[in-house]
Amino acid sequence: MKVLGLDTSGYYNAIGVADGNRVLADFAFEAKADSLEKIVAHIDATLQKAGVRLEDIDGFGVGVGPGSWTGIRVGVTVGKMLAFSTGKPVCGVSALEAHAYQVRNSASLICPIIYAGTRGVVYAAFYRKKNDTVIREGDYFVGGLADLAKLIKEQVVIAGTEAEKYAGMLQEMFTLLGDGIKSEITSPNGACVALLAARRLSHGESDDVLSLAPLYLKESTARAFSNAYSGGKG
Amino acid sequence: MLVLGIETSCDETSAALVVDGKEVLSNVIATQLDLLKKYGGVVPEIAARRHTELIGYVIKEAIDFAGKKLADIDAIAVTAKQGLIGCLLTGVAAAKSLSYALKIPIVGVHHIEGHIFASFLSNPDLPMPHICLTVSGGHTMLVYVRDYCQYELLGSTIDDAAGEAFDKIAKFLNLGFPGGPAIDRLAAKGNRNAFRFPRPLLYADTFDFSFSGLKTAIISHFKENVLKNEPLPIEDIAASFQEAVVDVLVAKTLRAASERGVNAISVTGGVSANRRLRQVFQEKCAGAKLMVFFPQLSFCTDNAAMVAAAGYARLRLGKADDINLNVLPNAPLEVSCAGQD
Repeated sequence: MKVLGLDTSGYYNAIGVADGNRVLADFAFEAKADSLEKIVAHIDATLQKAGVRLEDIDGFGVGVGPGSWTGIRVGVTVGKMLAFSTGKPVCGVSALEAHAYQVRNSASLICPIIYAGTRGVVYAAFYRKKNDTVIREGDYFVGGLADLAKLIKEQVVIAGTEAEKYAGMLQEMFTLLGDGIKSEITSPNGACVALLAARRLSHGESDDVLSLAPLYLKESTARAFSNAYSGGKG
Repeated sequence: MLVLGIETSCDETSAALVVDGKEVLSNVIATQLDLLKKYGGVVPEIAARRHTELIGYVIKEAIDFAGKKLADIDAIAVTAKQGLIGCLLTGVAAAKSLSYALKIPIVGVHHIEGHIFASFLSNPDLPMPHICLTVSGGHTMLVYVRDYCQYELLGSTIDDAAGEAFDKIAKFLNLGFPGGPAIDRLAAKGNRNAFRFPRPLLYADTFDFSFSGLKTAIISHFKENVLKNEPLPIEDIAASFQEAVVDVLVAKTLRAASERGVNAISVTGGVSANRRLRQVFQEKCAGAKLMVFFPQLSFCTDNAAMVAAAGYARLRLGKADDINLNVLPNAPLEVSCAGQD
């Protein structure tokens, strides 16, 4: 089963091609203003590197976030429209799960974190190894690192990509949690999203091509304000 | 040539299939009217989210309604220039993916170029050159259309768009959003000469427009009534306001036509659906021996059929883009490209 994976939610735009549990190609480029401009050309180049034609792809994996809102809109749209135009299935994959999956051999609790674009606020979740994959425990987290640290009661592995923001967040977590943590710098999620999608597709699972949507975790400011306002009246 | 058009530049998610830039097989438009009413206007982040949710459904519906298959599509045209960046992104990302997977050409279209072509869809015999006035909630532009894809921007608004003025006056009169249709309806019952509101820049030696002062003038004219909680003569205000806007739009467009020596005018964009605007244009153009053209109502507001028509014209002129097409939210309408390529 050949799968193209795509994740544009984070610091890097990542593209990977997997055949079952084997990675055929993995590529990442820094997410900047030209992300949209270059994404399709990089998909084409990564497929060529993998020696796979688009028409030979059996399914698509898309990082749905959380992360950059603009980034995930581009990734989710590209992923679902490639699936739509080739008639192949698509699987949405949480970017947090993809980071956790990269350190799935860890025996302790895994906490991937992604910078949320607002000073000090992160997206996070807790995962634990189960068989050869990771399972999320509890809800997704959006908030400050200090609040996240309060939720951690045991030995934990923090996982995230090699961005400047991550180094800063990690330093803060070390200060907050002392010796209770280890850190793993994870790679961009291209190949990993492809692997996770391949797993699901091989079990016959997929998402609806047309309704696949980003995982924002945060409402837009206007909507949050409006809800709070009407909530106050009600 | 069967072109799939995609438009997501503001708050309408739209896809259309058009044959040879003329025959519209489908023109699916998903509006965000529910959100507009809730927030009183377009919230860029919310509009962008809605586009990403709807884009697949809208494209599929356009193909199904036309009774076509993906394999029948020969090219993709998408609004890539002028609009809200987060909104444009979804349309262009979808267009690029389709173009890549289906191995067919892609062409990026300027939003205003789309509006210029909306008139061609309803009036295939619209002559070249002509003057095109595009009036909507986001734009007020007077363009000399020399030939296909050869434009000269003569003037645009220096503050509010004409449609924005309609929305703001409608808000002042508590008519809800969008304001255009509500003002149009009420004005039909009012006296358009009840109040003599200002006609901004009417006699100024420029083709630029200004509507924010008109809005302020009206609001301050009735400040006393509002303070005293007196009922406003809303029908007369709507009619007199509308007349002021129409006077300016019509006078400037006719002056542009006379200055450029053209014999045809085209009026497009959401405000071109306004009945009084159409009526005055028809009267004045008849008097000046000018032909005037309007799109049918479904092509007035943002739609993908006009984008497909504009894209077809660009493809015919060899102006296809490639897989690295990007969005340009503030791109000006290209200046006359005669002799350039």
